[in-house]
Amino acid sequence: MLADEASLSRLAALAQRGDRQAYAAMLTACRSWLLRYYRRKVAPEVIEDLVQETLLSVHRKLASYDPGRPLMPWLAAIARYRFIDHLRCAYRSAGEAELDDDTTDGHDQAVIARLSLDRLFEALPDAQQRAIELVKIEGLSISEASVSTGQSESLVKVNIHRGLRRLAALIERL
Amino acid sequence: MSMPDHPDTFIESLVDDLKPVATLRQSTGMVRALIALAAGVIAIVAAFGLRPELVRGHLDPLFLISSGLFLVLSLATAWSVIDMARPFVGTRRDGWAWTALMAAVLPGAALGSLIGNMLRGQHAAIDRGGVFCLVFGTAIGLITAAALVLWLRRGAPASPTRAGFYTGVAAGAAGIFAVSLHCPHNDLIHIGVWHGGTVILSGLLGRLTLPHLLAW
Repeated sequence: MLADEASLSRLAALAQRGDRQAYAAMLTACRSWLLRYYRRKVAPEVIEDLVQETLLSVHRKLASYDPGRPLMPWLAAIARYRFIDHLRCAYRSAGEAELDDDTTDGHDQAVIARLSLDRLFEALPDAQQRAIELVKIEGLSISEASVSTGQSESLVKVNIHRGLRRLAALIERL
Repeated sequence: MSMPDHPDTFIESLVDDLKPVATLRQSTGMVRALIALAAGVIAIVAAFGLRPELVRGHLDPLFLISSGLFLVLSLATAWSVIDMARPFVGTRRDGWAWTALMAAVLPGAALGSLIGNMLRGQHAAIDRGGVFCLVFGTAIGLITAAALVLWLRRGAPASPTRAGFYTGVAAGAAGIFAVSLHCPHNDLIHIGVWHGGTVILSGLLGRLTLPHLLAW
C-alpha cells in the first residue's frame, strides 16, 4: 500500500539529505506506483525494464524534486518522460528490425513496440490511424498514402496532424 | 551503473549510491540568470559604450518602453525555464507568453508602419546597421543561454524541445536588452525589425539546437 502524499514528500526530502532508510522506503513506494502506471500502457514484457529505467532517472534527478510540492506529480512527470522515450526507442528498434530479419531480439522489440503503439492507436479514428501508419511508420510519401487510402493529399496531412495531436494528448493523460 | 534484474537488488544498489543533493531552488536559478544578464550588459557597455543619450541623462520614451519590454520578457521566460528543471505534472508555464505577446507589439507595429509607408508610396527603408544589433544581441544572449542550459541539465526538463525554445527566447531578449543600452536608434522600425528579430531568431536557434543537450 502506498504511503500518503505528505509522508512520501517527507521521505523524499530526507532522501535528498542522504537518509538511506527513507530513500529505500521512497523508492519502494515509487516502484509500486510505477508498476501500476506502466501496466496500463505497455506490454508486460517491458514493464520491469521501464520501471527500473524510471527509478534510475529518479535517482539521477533527485535534486529536481521540490520538497515543498507533492512527490507523485514529480514522479508522474519523470515516468511520462521515460514512457515517451521508450516509445521513441521502440519506433527506432522496429525500423531497424525491418532492415535485419535475422535479429530475433530486434523482432521481439518490434512486436513489443507494435503492442504499445496499437494500444494508443485504438483511440484514433481509422482514417487518422491509417495516415499515420503509412506516412510516419512505413515511410510512404503523402501522395503514395493518398493513393493507398483514397484520401486526398490535404486530408492525409490533416489526418496525420490531428492524429499526432490526439496521440500527444493521450500520452499526456495516461 | 549497470541495471540488475532483481527489483530488490536494483533498489539496494540505488540506495547504496545515494549522496546528499542540493535541491534546485527557483531563487538560485533566477540569481544565476540575473548574473548572466548583468554580464552581458557589462560586456556590451565595456566593448561599445553606453548610448549617447543615456550618458547625457536624456531618456527616449520608445527606448524605455522597448528595452523594458525585452528585459521583462527575458526575466519572465527565464523564470519559466528555471521552473522547467523541476518536472511536475499539471504545472502551466505559459505566463511568459503574455509578456512575449506584449513584446510582439513592437515588430507588429514596425511591420504595420513599413506597410503603411509602402502604401503611401514612400520608401520603406530598413537600416542595415541593425545587423550589428542582431549579431551582438544573439551573441551576448549566449551568456544567458549557457547559464540556463547548465541549470536545466542539473534538472529534468520534461519537454527538451519547449525548454530549448524558451531558453532561446530568454537569451535573445537578454542579449538585445544589453545591446539596446548601446544602440543609438530610437525608431520603431529599427527596434521592431532588428531587436524583435533577435528574439525570434534566438528562439528558433534554441528550438533547433538545444533539445539534444537537454535530453536526459
